Amino acid sequence: MSVLSKLKETLVCLKAGRVTLPYPAQAQPVPEKFRGRPIFDAAKCIGCAGCANNCPAREILVFDVCQEVRILKYLGRRCAYCGRCADVCPEKAITMSHEFENATNSIGDILQKLDLFMSTCQRCGRCFKEPSPLEQLKLKGYRMDDLGNERWVYRSKAFLNEEQTVDDVKIELG
Amino acid sequence: MTSRETLAQLKAKFGPAILRADLPADNRLLLYVEPFAIKPVCQYIFRDLDARYVISIGADDRPFSGQFLVAHDFAFDRDRILCSVLTHIPADKPKVDSISDVVPAANWAEREIRDMIGIEPVGHPYPKRLVLPDGWPDGSHPLRKDFAWNQVPEGFDEEREFKFDEPPEGCMVVPFGPFHPTLDEPAHFRLYVEGEMVRGCEYRGFMVHRGIEKLAESVLTYNEIPMMAERICGICGCVHNVAYAQAVESAIALRLPPRAEYIRTIMLEIERLQSHLLWVGLACHIVGFDTLFMQSWRIREPIMWIAEKISGNRKTYALCLIGGVRWDITPDIKTELRQLLDKLEAEWKPVVAAVLKDKNIQARTSGVGVADKTACKNTGLVGPVARAAGVDIDCRRDHPYAAYDRVDFDVITADGCDVWSRVVVRATEVFESIKIIRQCLDRMEPGPLQADIKDELPVGRLGLSSVEAPRGESHHFVITGENNRPRRWRVRAPTYQNLQGIPAMIKDQQLADMTISLGSIDPCFSCTDRLETIDLRSKAVKVWTQEELVKMVKARKA
Repeated sequence: MSVLSKLKETLVCLKAGRVTLPYPAQAQPVPEKFRGRPIFDAAKCIGCAGCANNCPAREILVFDVCQEVRILKYLGRRCAYCGRCADVCPEKAITMSHEFENATNSIGDILQKLDLFMSTCQRCGRCFKEPSPLEQLKLKGYRMDDLGNERWVYRSKAFLNEEQTVDDVKIELG
Repeated sequence: MTSRETLAQLKAKFGPAILRADLPADNRLLLYVEPFAIKPVCQYIFRDLDARYVISIGADDRPFSGQFLVAHDFAFDRDRILCSVLTHIPADKPKVDSISDVVPAANWAEREIRDMIGIEPVGHPYPKRLVLPDGWPDGSHPLRKDFAWNQVPEGFDEEREFKFDEPPEGCMVVPFGPFHPTLDEPAHFRLYVEGEMVRGCEYRGFMVHRGIEKLAESVLTYNEIPMMAERICGICGCVHNVAYAQAVESAIALRLPPRAEYIRTIMLEIERLQSHLLWVGLACHIVGFDTLFMQSWRIREPIMWIAEKISGNRKTYALCLIGGVRWDITPDIKTELRQLLDKLEAEWKPVVAAVLKDKNIQARTSGVGVADKTACKNTGLVGPVARAAGVDIDCRRDHPYAAYDRVDFDVITADGCDVWSRVVVRATEVFESIKIIRQCLDRMEPGPLQADIKDELPVGRLGLSSVEAPRGESHHFVITGENNRPRRWRVRAPTYQNLQGIPAMIKDQQLADMTISLGSIDPCFSCTDRLETIDLRSKAVKVWTQEELVKMVKARKA
């Protein structure tokens, strides 16, 4: 037996004392920069869909009802809380909140839906200036994600069966 | 030897079989060879030039060149070169000579190429399925470009049971996993046991294959992949995040702003600190020494908090984009990090001093899970497993990336080849990480965090990158492509190679040592918690239900 080692180890334990935090009985504050559940502000949102184009989990859907109305739906199921949506938002309409107790049995609890009134851009209808060429998604015109089944509609026909994709709506450029 | 000299040597030996050679940088060598020469070239590189085998990659290049592509990656650790031997295979005859009999470490990778791309390794010593389940129909290969990312092939029989090999004569079969108290992720070992001694095993894994490479090639874009790459591993996610970004940056020859390099280095070392402390705790837990388990996790917790402060999350830092980092290290955090490192060092020193002299844990782990130098070479073992066998490799020094070429640190090695040596290596490496972070904090200069990228990325370039994860080398291989996403992205996590060393490690050892032998390579860990309270006076235990927990939190918020 290595008695000396055991004594030293005992000392380490005694010195540490009690370290268990009283969570969840008491709230545990998070740091300022914490990336919790993203909150969408409909008043600030201009409907550029930059967040939807850059969401790694494809959890933000966009559906153009008509030229004037765009629906933006954040599902949050697979959300990785990476904060890229907040990064690329040109209007700072998305904030990464401090909410982290988001576990739920009903998926609707974390869903956010924005009905946006859109004004028309003279050139392309929908504008989003990407911060860099890497943020580009080669989508132009209207987006019609599948809101009913809550899934993204992939525009890239490259290697998919045709029924899984929807053609881009062509917009005449003046 | 520089990459030029290596190339000259290879050219002298193989001459016209080498079709083309690219030297995109001093430390990269891309060799295009004739299909018939792939085996002798790999043998020469692996045996005569004594390079370390890294990984083999198969790619469906038919939409672009009309051919399949196979690449074998090697690392010249002393010469600081990452080398890829590539060959094009005709689309109508997807066959390639297997290199597994001369490079045993390629065993899994070649089987994976067969499963995923459908290129047959001719002459493979054990051509059993590896990644795809037995019920998957033949001739259906998920990583081919004409296979959609969300396709389920016709005739897929989900319920089909695995077909296992016959155990050797005189041996009983003991199943280990997919669910086992010390195995936190599903992997199945069929142990062949003679009395108490393990004589061999068959491995069936890949039960949590998530198709992340396919997703990257068909759905995600360049800057989305880092956030998903991070989720490859539950503990060392930042490693994959950085390795992917570096692979793309190396493909397009992009230089990073120095501050971004320092921040990457700091975050990687913070991750190494938490991972090493976590593993030392876990290893002790497996052998039943819970004192150290508790203490190392206690010491680890503040590191998680500082990571959360810097990046916004304890573990998923979401650090890199192509060309830079997203989070800055502010002066406040700098001061705090310095204080934390001092405290960490002061706390970890007495623990290490006590444990390294503890005869009990030493007796339990010495001579257990032995992997010697030859095993390391043949199965391509990496990280602390290799360093504990006296193999002096460390990507931070051998293939410097981020800011590692500007900091001083020692590569810790031991020569016991066993679990004890791995404990020693990882416990001691903590101090080196502290040293590295301190130097980075001193040398970091103000500057931009992101390189300016003005154009779309060029297409068809190859990028290799190796990052030293806490548990070994993580290697990423990228071919850049169209539509703002890579054509092919191959990830080789350290456990991919280290797990192949397990049969050798557990052979002729006690059955009871299986858990710690496996635990010693540090396969990934994840856990689901519930709350249990114990009344300290009466010792009564109450398990809280989910409803009660939700009620408590709601009452607290009101």
